[in-house]
Amino acid sequence: MPNPPPGLSERDFTTALGRIEEVVGREWLFTSDEDVALYRDAYSPLWGEDQERFASAAVAPISVEEIQAIVRIANEYRLPLYPISTGRNLTYGGSAPVYSGSVVLDLKRMNRILEVNERDKTCLVEPGVSYFDMYRHLRTNGIRLWIDTADPGWGGLVGNSLDRGGGYTGMDFRDHFDAHCGMEVVLPTGELVRTGMGANPQSKTWQLFKYGMGPWVDGIFSQSNFGIVTKMGFWLMEEPEAALQVSVSVPRRRDVVRLVDVLHSLMCEHTIPSQTTVGSPVMNGSADPELVRLRTSGGAADADWDRYAQAQGRPFWNASFVYYGARKVIAAQWEHTKDRLAGIAGVQFRETASYTFPLSDEQVEAVPDKARLGIPSLNLFGSRNAPGATPSEGHLDFSPMIPPRGEELIALADVTGKIYGDLGLTPSFVGGLMFHARTMICFHAVPTYRNAADNRRTRQLFETLVRSCADNGWTIYRIHAHFQPLGMQMYGFNDGALHRLHETLKDAIDPNGIVSAGRYDIWPRHLRRDRA
Amino acid sequence: MSRHRRSELRSRFFLAIAIAHVATLPAAAQDAPFPIAAWSRTTAAPETTGSLEERGAAVFNNWCSACHSRGPQNAPGTTSLQFKYQGALPAALEDREDLTPELVALYVREGIATMPFLRKTELGDADLEALTAYLVKN
Repeated sequence: MPNPPPGLSERDFTTALGRIEEVVGREWLFTSDEDVALYRDAYSPLWGEDQERFASAAVAPISVEEIQAIVRIANEYRLPLYPISTGRNLTYGGSAPVYSGSVVLDLKRMNRILEVNERDKTCLVEPGVSYFDMYRHLRTNGIRLWIDTADPGWGGLVGNSLDRGGGYTGMDFRDHFDAHCGMEVVLPTGELVRTGMGANPQSKTWQLFKYGMGPWVDGIFSQSNFGIVTKMGFWLMEEPEAALQVSVSVPRRRDVVRLVDVLHSLMCEHTIPSQTTVGSPVMNGSADPELVRLRTSGGAADADWDRYAQAQGRPFWNASFVYYGARKVIAAQWEHTKDRLAGIAGVQFRETASYTFPLSDEQVEAVPDKARLGIPSLNLFGSRNAPGATPSEGHLDFSPMIPPRGEELIALADVTGKIYGDLGLTPSFVGGLMFHARTMICFHAVPTYRNAADNRRTRQLFETLVRSCADNGWTIYRIHAHFQPLGMQMYGFNDGALHRLHETLKDAIDPNGIVSAGRYDIWPRHLRRDRA
Repeated sequence: MSRHRRSELRSRFFLAIAIAHVATLPAAAQDAPFPIAAWSRTTAAPETTGSLEERGAAVFNNWCSACHSRGPQNAPGTTSLQFKYQGALPAALEDREDLTPELVALYVREGIATMPFLRKTELGDADLEALTAYLVKN
């Protein structure tokens, strides 16, 4: 029998697990060390250290009724539960609980695609449905609708949406929480709630109209611990006639100001429909000593950078995006884009891929940039990228959000580059990704390891990046479980009023504090003293 | 296993899923007060009526091929192993002659490098047995 969660007697823990086993059956309650170890955070920045978060057990229900029964038992014993959907939120904490000793409520078995409505272009799914599952379902059944997938296709629609992840296709779809429409939630008391129009059992518009009547509460179930989402509706994108992937490059460092201004304007007027990535072939080039010096200087002059770029023979910035729709419309959008950007001296335009749908299986296999067509893959998850390379072991996503302005992107590169340099490290990727309508996210991966010494350095780097970026107004939008208290500190207006509101809601909705204690630093009342 | 055979197994797997999509609703879903036009339950153990090896092929397609197909496209795991072995061993797991049940179990349950371990709700012990039958040649 595993160790009980803190504060729970061994007798109560054993009794509670015994009753849970009666609900789900012996096969789906995991208590052995080797089974529970499968719920560790595979990319943990605390791997093997005392602070690493561990589950005490895991349970995998198959139905809403089983979840309700488990939640009621948990309330009786104040047994902490930690729900996961596909459990693949790697880089942000994976399947490990925030509060050590919690029992993981693994919803992977609840993997039904309950409805795909081709006419309305919507779906309703359970938490265990992965992007691969959904893509396979649509393709196998000849349904000409697209999902918008996160980079790793092993994630799921529900979990990624609830952590407010993103993808690459149309504006209505790539902000995954914004693309949802309607939820079913088991509250921490065990009561079942449907949001929006789903609160009318006869409703024909649950997946069509988000708000229903009264306060729209869906947002409180994202990045939180106020309930266990058991169904979620999503809007799906109609397969277009065609797609054209293009790139635009500009030669000088300061050109990014005009480039981003125009791209943002084109996105706001709906000429560019897709996520747009602005990266630097120069700053992300091979790390020679001169590049490292420029990157870590904290603000090298534009003239120095431009001389370096010219010597490298590379354009300083490159933007990549996709048009979806009828061929005639795409041609007009592309021409209009070129007209708008023509004023930048030395700008170059390139068509990188063109598609007519539907694609054959062979064509799908051959698409290099799959997520931009809503095709799930794991193509970004290789360990080695060269012969003899040391394999990577994991990473955290560092994801500050900036205004869509080129000068902010330059400033962020200067600030983060200096942080890396001061710690004796080579700076990471520089780029701005316009997932959302009015911001850029400047993702980069911070490596994690299976040894404490390297992870200590990673944690120091990550914390410095978070604080420095927040000081500059570039707050992160999502963060690994270990750093959630730090992340919430950056949202500290009026002595942490927002955080106090979160915990006020927690007390009202989850009085026994049984669901995901500590997630996004929201703690139940009885654990707040320990945290301090 | 020939490419043709593998392709046939993949087709069968998709066919099994397609059949599942139109199957009768389970009792648990029938209380839903909204129309359910389609449903699927892609089980942790893909159900095929074939041999253990054929079921292992379905498990491989479901859980491993997104990284470990023969590639080089869409196979980051194969690419990584190509860099690791540099020709000393085949990079694609389906071409390996030296895999043992212990090795397959080790990587599935403990992971390696960026490959995370798989939980039993994803790839259960019966799936692991089938996968082993598919990948272990000797």
